[in-house]
Amino acid sequence: MSKIRVEGLKYRYPDMDKLVLDNLNFEVEKGAFIGIIGENTAGKSTLCYALTGLVPNFFKGAYGGTILIDDLDEISDVTRKVGLVFDQPFSQMTGSKTTVYEEIAFGLENSGVEREEMRIRIDESLRLMDIEHLQNKNPYDLSGGQMQRVAIASVLAMKPDVIVLDEPTSQLDPKGSDEVFQVITKLAKSGITIIMAEHKLEKLAEYASKILLLHKGKQIAFGSPEEVFSRDDILEYGIAPPVYTRIAKAVKPKTQAGFYPVTMKDLMQQWNVGDK
Amino acid sequence: MEPIHLYTQRKSWISQIDPLSKLLFAFVSIFMTYLFSSITITCFVLLISIVLLMVARVLKKIVPLLAISFTLLLSIIIVQGLTHPTNETPLLTIGSIVFYQEGLTFAFLITLRVFNMLAAFGVLILTTKPDDLMESLMKQGMSPKISYVFLSVFQLIPQMRATLGKITDAQRSRGMETEGSLMIRIKAFFPLIGPVVLSSLNMTKERAIALEVRGFSSKGKKTFLIEEKSYFYPKFIKCVLVTLLIAAIVWRIVG
Amino acid sequence: MKNKGIWSLNFSTIVIALIPIAVAINYLGKVIIETLKLPLWLDSIGTVISSMLAGPLIGAFTGLINNIIYGFTLSPISFVYAVTSVVIGLGVGIMAHKGWIASIGKAIVIGLVVGLLAAIVSTPLNMMFWEGTTGNIWGDAFYLYLASIGMPQWIASFGDSVVVDVPDKVITVLIGYLIYRSLPKNLIHLFKNNNEIEKL
Repeated sequence: MSKIRVEGLKYRYPDMDKLVLDNLNFEVEKGAFIGIIGENTAGKSTLCYALTGLVPNFFKGAYGGTILIDDLDEISDVTRKVGLVFDQPFSQMTGSKTTVYEEIAFGLENSGVEREEMRIRIDESLRLMDIEHLQNKNPYDLSGGQMQRVAIASVLAMKPDVIVLDEPTSQLDPKGSDEVFQVITKLAKSGITIIMAEHKLEKLAEYASKILLLHKGKQIAFGSPEEVFSRDDILEYGIAPPVYTRIAKAVKPKTQAGFYPVTMKDLMQQWNVGDK
Repeated sequence: MEPIHLYTQRKSWISQIDPLSKLLFAFVSIFMTYLFSSITITCFVLLISIVLLMVARVLKKIVPLLAISFTLLLSIIIVQGLTHPTNETPLLTIGSIVFYQEGLTFAFLITLRVFNMLAAFGVLILTTKPDDLMESLMKQGMSPKISYVFLSVFQLIPQMRATLGKITDAQRSRGMETEGSLMIRIKAFFPLIGPVVLSSLNMTKERAIALEVRGFSSKGKKTFLIEEKSYFYPKFIKCVLVTLLIAAIVWRIVG
Repeated sequence: MKNKGIWSLNFSTIVIALIPIAVAINYLGKVIIETLKLPLWLDSIGTVISSMLAGPLIGAFTGLINNIIYGFTLSPISFVYAVTSVVIGLGVGIMAHKGWIASIGKAIVIGLVVGLLAAIVSTPLNMMFWEGTTGNIWGDAFYLYLASIGMPQWIASFGDSVVVDVPDKVITVLIGYLIYRSLPKNLIHLFKNNNEIEKL
């Protein structure tokens, strides 16, 4: 569990002339759950890559600013501390292992974890992701939602301080998507720092402690879900706020703090129609 | 998924032998058949490979391999029988076509050599799990990256073949013809290969990212989940093979 | 950092991810040819693309891995032609680097050159292992014809290989080129190993 500080982050891919990330500044507290939102061209994935050091180490290009972990290390030097799960379940399988158990071991083998310790960590990750029953299956015989849980388990087994999820459910059917969100809830409760780019804002509103809104590489807002989703200009950035916020907006007034509710629970509370 | 490797799990003492010894055996065996242009020696070497295949209980599995080489062998027999430079003694005349004894004898030797090539490698590939061979090679200092490349091909091909099957069905249902004149069949090639190739190449970036975030390029020492297998006197077997090889070369030069 | 040209063998992660995919593409080419019963091999499209993307050494390495895999899965005879695959990878990679992947016309020239190279390398192998034939019916028929008009064995063998390899490699390189051209730029960029990180 670590704190991350992003300062003046700028980035441009080698084949482009426009900045994809343009002067981002924000801080992630230990154990926080940060949601990144924005349109497809907003730079969400690129930011996820930057948080894991892939930008600029893997993609090269032009890079400026710093991402510090625990106010100490430049993130691009210590990639192992941040785990990444991205959208494509299929290409996230390493493709050289024939069982889920070995697939999860892949990262541990590369990091030189001893066999005993490896087994403990794999069992733990399997349990946390509810995939113990799949451990002897070939990763490619799994459904998308199952593969995605294997991907999360693989990252988790490496014991990262922070886990970055880049639209982990966007390629999944509703069932797979639910499965993945269930385990993300579990993760969030475990206290690990989570940064997640996501289109399903209802889900983010439920878990996220803070929301980062990006638009064309620029940081538009960074604040509580209530604060960000209540913005009157949010539609201009291609974001339709969660359905509960829209209902509340239609009926008006804002909460005492000047925001609209963002989850069903909040909405019920505001209207005093809780189930008790 | 239908695996592409030819390994089948059979209990025998051949599976107790180190994959590298089997690899060395294949090379030594094939080398011998080319070292001596002798039908007797080639027969003897082939016999050893066949006995090993029988011991490993995989002799039947070699048949499909022989079938693949059928056209190669048939054409060798015809071409050499008709045209080999040493041809002198007519053996068989069909109309105006004459097959010669020298050429056919030569073709017979080549056929035996091909059979031995298949059988000797068969001892390795039919009785060795690719993972085990890679593990042995890594122990000899081969880079884990190379091992990854091999093992991932074994996973990827069945995968992409399945995708290709789906595409073929989809294109056929849209009215694409895969049979008929040469032109029709050539036209069918692109819609079949295009989508699967492009999508898989586009996958390279994501695959590389997946590997990166799992510490694939980390410089430290690697560990292995699966314990090393122990084999039946690997050093002894290799020594015997190398000795045999040297003896054969010496015999060939002196004799 | 000095010139990291085409002769640097850099097994970067992207290259490691590419090679298996290239080998699988080779394999699929072969499968489709068999499905459609076409009189070509077209089993080196992946090697060609690999050379175009990652240079001659990686292309050559892809060819080598390809034949080893074929040897293990289809027929051990493929081991014999590993050298040919390596030369195809080298040839395409060098010509691609010298600017020959610019148009369909130039791609055909690459195909012709690589086809001839492949024939030159295959001939001694065919001579050594099976007295000159290739096992391809058209090629071997041509061998018979050349032998019947009194050509020496090695010329007949070379003719056999040329008939098989040249048309095949022209079409292979052409397909490889068309695929390469339709790849996204950002993907092609990942293979350029002279990219440095620029400071903003």
